[in-house]
Amino acid sequence: MHRLLAAFLVSFAIISAAPWEAVAQENPRPDVLSALEPPAIPDDNPMTPEKIELGRMLFFDPILSGNFAMPCSICHLPEAGWTVQAPISIGYPGTAHWRNSQTIINSAYYGKLFWAGASRSLEAQARSAARGAVAGNGEDDMMEARLAFVPEYREAFKKVFGDDWPNIRHAYMAIAAFERTLVQTDTPFDNYMRGDDNALTAKQKRGLELFAGKAGCTSCHSGAMLTNEAYYNIGVPPYDGWEFDELAQITFRYELYSKGVSEEKYRKFKDDPGLFFRTKQAADFGKFRVPSLRYTKYTYPYMHNGMLETLRDVVVFYNEGGGENEFSATKSEMIQPLGLSEEEIDALVAFLESLSGEEILVDEPELPEMQPLPPRAELKE
Amino acid sequence: MKSLAALVIAVLLGCVPALAQDVTPDPPLDIDAARVELGKRLFYDVRLSGDTTLACASCHQPENAFTDGEALSAAYTGSAHFRNTPTLANSGFRGAWMHDGRLGTNLNDVAREMITETYLMNMDMRVMQERLKQDPVYVEMFAAAGMGEPSNGGARNALMDFMRTIQSRNAPFDTGAMSAAAQRGQAIFEGKGNCSACHTGTRFTDDMPHNTGVPNNPDIWSDPERHSAFVAYAKFMGIENYMNIREDLGAYVRTHRDEAKRSFLTPTLRELAWTAPYMHNGVFATLEEVVDFYNAGGGEDSLKDSRLRPLGLIPSEKADLIAFLESLSGDTFDIDAYVWRDDDFYYELIEDWRNTEN
Repeated sequence: MHRLLAAFLVSFAIISAAPWEAVAQENPRPDVLSALEPPAIPDDNPMTPEKIELGRMLFFDPILSGNFAMPCSICHLPEAGWTVQAPISIGYPGTAHWRNSQTIINSAYYGKLFWAGASRSLEAQARSAARGAVAGNGEDDMMEARLAFVPEYREAFKKVFGDDWPNIRHAYMAIAAFERTLVQTDTPFDNYMRGDDNALTAKQKRGLELFAGKAGCTSCHSGAMLTNEAYYNIGVPPYDGWEFDELAQITFRYELYSKGVSEEKYRKFKDDPGLFFRTKQAADFGKFRVPSLRYTKYTYPYMHNGMLETLRDVVVFYNEGGGENEFSATKSEMIQPLGLSEEEIDALVAFLESLSGEEILVDEPELPEMQPLPPRAELKE
Repeated sequence: MKSLAALVIAVLLGCVPALAQDVTPDPPLDIDAARVELGKRLFYDVRLSGDTTLACASCHQPENAFTDGEALSAAYTGSAHFRNTPTLANSGFRGAWMHDGRLGTNLNDVAREMITETYLMNMDMRVMQERLKQDPVYVEMFAAAGMGEPSNGGARNALMDFMRTIQSRNAPFDTGAMSAAAQRGQAIFEGKGNCSACHTGTRFTDDMPHNTGVPNNPDIWSDPERHSAFVAYAKFMGIENYMNIREDLGAYVRTHRDEAKRSFLTPTLRELAWTAPYMHNGVFATLEEVVDFYNAGGGEDSLKDSRLRPLGLIPSEKADLIAFLESLSGDTFDIDAYVWRDDDFYYELIEDWRNTEN
């Protein structure tokens, strides 16, 4: 409604007597795309300023890891686009990671988290990341015990959740609440879609037209988040680190082992089977969730394994009809050579850049520390 | 890389513990030498801990009869332990393990517990298995031990077998070379001191829990890293009111019966010369303190074993008793049979990865 109303008002504001048709071509606003509104907040985790502040502290606090060294923020670094600006995320000490880190910005809108949708909520994602052997490698009982030794956390968990002692599940809820504040709804694209014709350059508008037209991007990159959140194999080449990094080879086998594939597949797979890990269906080999294209100015490199360096590389990749991996049988038929000219590629890249606004940074909190725990009688209530 | 031939030669040359000429408390167990050698290398490998900072040998040091010389043990990064590191000497002959006796199966289980416990080595053993497979020395050693490719279960079995070879060697008590003082001490041990009521058998333990009133160690509760590790342990063991207690309930975790509170497994008296400080929480620095403790009838505890009474030992008797205790310690464990000397821990890149089966 909002968008239609804005378009209506804008059309009246235009002085020149351009015919409707010309306006539509000049300022395309495809129906399959829209500006981003504030995220839905789950009923079972309402937002309060105190909860968000607690979440902000916990997001940066290494207390939520196995070795006091792996806070959420180490792989979701604000000044690196709330991600890691390297192909693969940072592994727990002694290990390598295996997939590209995804940005926290706008993660509030996803129905599922992780590249193959392994978590159903931000709360669940926080827990999985804190506990994963190549990520936080923490254990809930231990992390919960440590939180109880921090007077500031005892106070905050009591105030926010009514906990006698900090409950680790509430830590994940607070982190999710903080993450739901990390949204960007005022990009040039959003402003344009809300009616500001000047928010996009002519080149970006041309890119938008291609995005929704000749390039067919909106087949999957649709809606306010520019993703349909479905899963596809587009032929991204395998992570090259598996060829030269011993730790990456170890982790690749670990993932096959721990996610429970058959021995035959454990022996033979040489690429990340993606959604197959969840469904165990051959039809899902090599499929990954369509990512949002928002905030991508800061979240390079791209794809589930970071194998494409720049937004232009990504557009060129699609222009060539995607790539090849060992799961060619499941590659989406929608991925075909596009026949885009250099100018058209430039325009698409320019449009993609309009999906990122200013860099979002926050003040890193002063972190409280564990203190000796006096007997209950001496604890102030 | 250690070749298979070298391994075989090493075994033939007698790198099997409990050398033929050694006198041991119990007959050596019949254990596969290749598995022992594999277990020995694993024992010294920090890659068996999550962040690759700790090996078994970090706390179980051969030069201290496989203890660490600390009152309270170290632990995983970010944690510290709430108990004293026990010796591994003769541990293959134990009936139960850990100061609280919570493991009653075998040393395979002990290895699993130590490797995976969050405040100890914090290792996801699935990662560990894949690490081992990336080390060509292990690939060779597992095969030589008849265990196929490196695996979690194989690693635990090899560690168990290595630990089962760790035996006291040539203690004066066993060789018959006890001093006169030690012989007088033995009489006190078995008589006036009544130590042998619990410290029985070849290892001088009944493997049973008893409450002797050992004082609480306040260093556990003043250190959040130790105390939080205890809380994690207490939660996992189902101890009630775990946030508010400030005492180690010991073997209570086995039965959850009140009368078992603060009871701990009788420790072996073997290798005491190497393993100070003493007691489950390291509160006593010397054998003199331990003997004084028992001479006073043990500590203060409403559940204390009723057999503990003041002993009335005079100074010369205490000295004799200590001489006897010292005669239960043998040769150093810092020998090739028990120590992996090579710093050869590495991963090898799998070349032609795409065409090599995982």
